Amino acid sequence: MKHFLAISAAALVIAAPAVAEPGKWSDEPVRIVVTFPPGGTSDLIARVLAQYFESEYGQKAVVDNRPGAGGTVAADFVAEQAPDGTTLILGNNAPFTIAPTQFEDLPYDPMGDFTHIAYLGASTPALFVQPASGITTIDEYIAQAKGDGITYGSSGVGSITHILGKAVDIELGIEQIHVPYQGSAPAIQDFRAGVLEAYYDMVALNGDLITEGETQPIALAAPERSAAFPEIPTFRELGHDIVIENWTGLSGPSGMDPEMVKTINETVAAIMQLEPVIERLAQFGVEHTPMSAEEFTTFVEGTITTWEPLIKAANVNG
Amino acid sequence: MEILAGFGNGLLVALQPENLLYCFVGVFLGTFIGVLPGIGSMAAISMILPLTFYLEPTSALVMIAGVYYGAEYGGSIASILMNIPGTPSSSITCIDGYPMARDGRAGIALFGSAVASFGGGIIGMIVMAVLAPGLAELALNFGPTEYFAVILLGLVAASAVSNGNPIKGITMVVAGLMLGTVGVDITTGAERFTMGIPEMRDGVHLVIVAMGLFGVGELIVSIRANAKGALQNEIDYKKFYPSRAQWKAMFAPILRGSGIGSFFGALPGTGQTVASAVAYAVEKKVSPNRESFGKGAIEGVAVPEAANNSATQTAFIPTLTLGVPGSASMALVIGALMMYGIVPGPRLLVEHSDLFWGLVASFLIGNILLLILNIPLIGLWVRLLKIPYRYMYPTIIVLICIGVYSLNNNVFDVWLTMAFGWAGYLMRLFRFEPAPFLIGFVIGPMMEEQLRRAMLLSRGDATVFLTRPISGALIAITVLLLIYAIASALRARRRAAQATDVSSEIEAPSTSNKG
Amino acid sequence: MRAFLLRLRRNEEEARPPHAYLGALGGAGLLALSIVFIVGGYELGVGSPRRLGTGAFPVITGFILAVLSLIVIAADLRNTEDAERPDWISFAAIGAALAVFALTVGRIGLVPGAFLTVITASLPDPSLPILGKLVLAASVSLACWALFIGLIGLPFAPFGGV
Repeated sequence: MKHFLAISAAALVIAAPAVAEPGKWSDEPVRIVVTFPPGGTSDLIARVLAQYFESEYGQKAVVDNRPGAGGTVAADFVAEQAPDGTTLILGNNAPFTIAPTQFEDLPYDPMGDFTHIAYLGASTPALFVQPASGITTIDEYIAQAKGDGITYGSSGVGSITHILGKAVDIELGIEQIHVPYQGSAPAIQDFRAGVLEAYYDMVALNGDLITEGETQPIALAAPERSAAFPEIPTFRELGHDIVIENWTGLSGPSGMDPEMVKTINETVAAIMQLEPVIERLAQFGVEHTPMSAEEFTTFVEGTITTWEPLIKAANVNG
Repeated sequence: MEILAGFGNGLLVALQPENLLYCFVGVFLGTFIGVLPGIGSMAAISMILPLTFYLEPTSALVMIAGVYYGAEYGGSIASILMNIPGTPSSSITCIDGYPMARDGRAGIALFGSAVASFGGGIIGMIVMAVLAPGLAELALNFGPTEYFAVILLGLVAASAVSNGNPIKGITMVVAGLMLGTVGVDITTGAERFTMGIPEMRDGVHLVIVAMGLFGVGELIVSIRANAKGALQNEIDYKKFYPSRAQWKAMFAPILRGSGIGSFFGALPGTGQTVASAVAYAVEKKVSPNRESFGKGAIEGVAVPEAANNSATQTAFIPTLTLGVPGSASMALVIGALMMYGIVPGPRLLVEHSDLFWGLVASFLIGNILLLILNIPLIGLWVRLLKIPYRYMYPTIIVLICIGVYSLNNNVFDVWLTMAFGWAGYLMRLFRFEPAPFLIGFVIGPMMEEQLRRAMLLSRGDATVFLTRPISGALIAITVLLLIYAIASALRARRRAAQATDVSSEIEAPSTSNKG
Repeated sequence: MRAFLLRLRRNEEEARPPHAYLGALGGAGLLALSIVFIVGGYELGVGSPRRLGTGAFPVITGFILAVLSLIVIAADLRNTEDAERPDWISFAAIGAALAVFALTVGRIGLVPGAFLTVITASLPDPSLPILGKLVLAASVSLACWALFIGLIGLPFAPFGGV
């Protein structure tokens, strides 16, 4: 039933004439649920949104952090709320892309139980190695991995960097030794202490280390080179079709009014064009691409199917 | 010289009226939020985080830091008055602070804790100013092998944090280690003992364990004791200034506690709870007054407080210079800095030296403010004990509920607190102590993570723990400590056996102190 | 109600203090717990030295705990002191108070939830008359509203569901 509603809602969105404009959509304060504790990138993006919803359009918004179980606690909570636009979730790959494959007993359906409203942007991870190792190209990396082996750090089992590591294993036909950490900061610390040979992490958070020559980037998992780091080649141009992005978007419970969805989408799109917002997101390495609600829904669905084999390969459940 | 110039510069920054104001507001809010059971520095920082978005980066950081150590100090007030650790790290303060309060010496305990916190804070600040670059380098030499060795050392030291039967103390540490494995295994992603409950995937929150075992468990015990009027005995409300002898007794413990606290604070991940536990255990070994530890020794309050507060200051070293947060609260600090486009890392000291030195200087000012703010309040806090318990305990229960619920906005945490509260009462009934359990529970996950990572990186070769120099030295110290502990326990047992009649030769009752 | 509580309390006072064997019960409980973790740990897999399995740490700590709890049981059985007399009334009331909070806060809001929690918690204390309990509950719940929602700004609903 929920599925049917979502599909018909999507159909209505397509059929609806484009009358919506950016603006306020609810008289009540809107709650933006964040899947992480306060202070992380996700939380900060939600706070930027909340701030501009109010200052630009008079739409009151508060941030509600509900961390736990890889974002599934927050997603489950939002799925059960009324679809009146007062509860939204700042979603990402953890509850929507990874969890559906990772957990068999997921209490919600990532597509049927949600109205996916607006895409915010994505940041991309890259492969880094020790500068002292002398490795500078992907072919040298492959040779090293096939020879003495390579240990790499990720920000956790089932995290996006672990999945990227698995994708590299499969695509390059190598077997790297995975060492999971809790977040990328401790992994980088061990890397700098010389105990790790490589790691995968968001390229934007490694700018300082790259300029200081403390770490050597090899390849980026984006479709195209990054504007901020034009010297790093992409896996794709090196002949390995690996694209793994850490996306963020705004979603609500299933069955939201298509008019309202359109208004929220336009409001988010307008805020994303503001100079200070672009600057702030750039600090987190998040680059925005405009998407309609339908495009975003297709995008989320697409990530679930394309990532499924990688998540299974990462064998995150045992 | 460079340090003095930097510090002088920082003092100018910190003394700007605006920064002074934010420092005061931070310390004030932090203290009051820290007093509330279950609402610790992390909750306090997340509450003021949105406010700081409108400030200058230095003002924001000064205010956040003020809230942070204010809350750490506030946590000790509830520990001393009600045996409820406002923050997990102040659970060690309960061990001697609460017996002092029951003895009618709550005022002295609070004063001692304020002075020790001040001393610890100042020493931590000096360590940070002088050693920040060096300590950051040291932390960079700490790989998984070294971490495992230092954790093992801390654990052996912590096993001595028990007033009663030492075997029961160690049993509780091991039980804590074991139960710490509940949740998703971070190395494989498999669920362990979660009973299929999604909320259990991230394990049980430390605050829930502390609130349940200490707070709720203690309440159940106290209701009947207070109904009989056992605790309302002559409290001297006016006398809270320590005597000359007490001042002298506190001096060396504060120095030792601050030293140990500064070291553990600078290592990302080990944090204040481990710092205060190890400092307490060490003090219990070296103090001339060790016999009265656990029964209301002023040294037993001063040591963990000094360690806790110096660790609170030095925890900023890895956070700012390496970008590695030592705790959830420090992760919030990094988040706040990122908001201003300041990336914590080795270059922060150079590129944002105003911010670094301003922060260091604000520690000095903040700790002075904390002292000025809290000495007059001691009288007020002690008067809280005058409120009849029949009004107090239902209020405390509601505060615990709200504190726990606010962690994740999830009632599941309240149910867990109920379970841990009952467990805490049963533990008291069976004469087990909650403090060693809590330490095991904190250390366990770290210990396992580092052990498995070290084995993975050494490709299954366990000798790395001995062949790497830093870890080899730490393991050697641990072994010596163990031999010493066993030898002194055996000696005490032999002496006890000689002293007592053969017919009553039983395991010494819980008041013995063989540690 | 009050008379009933006083009678319950008195009965408890008169009851014979339980034997110190009670102490061994704690050790037995820990032993049972350690067996759960050992068995569960083996099922999860202990792995190899190079790649320690998910169950390795629970099994190691479980074995140490099992040995220690046996020692504790042995020591407690030899202990002839009187144990403390359990206070099951307070035990139940405090547990119930937490349960009441868990059941009410998301459904009827913080203020009525806190009110009912205070009432439940204070039930076992006969020294506070029922009117006193009501006044206490009302003032605590209103103070919590002002402090936590008004001042600190926690995202709780004062009345009604989330």
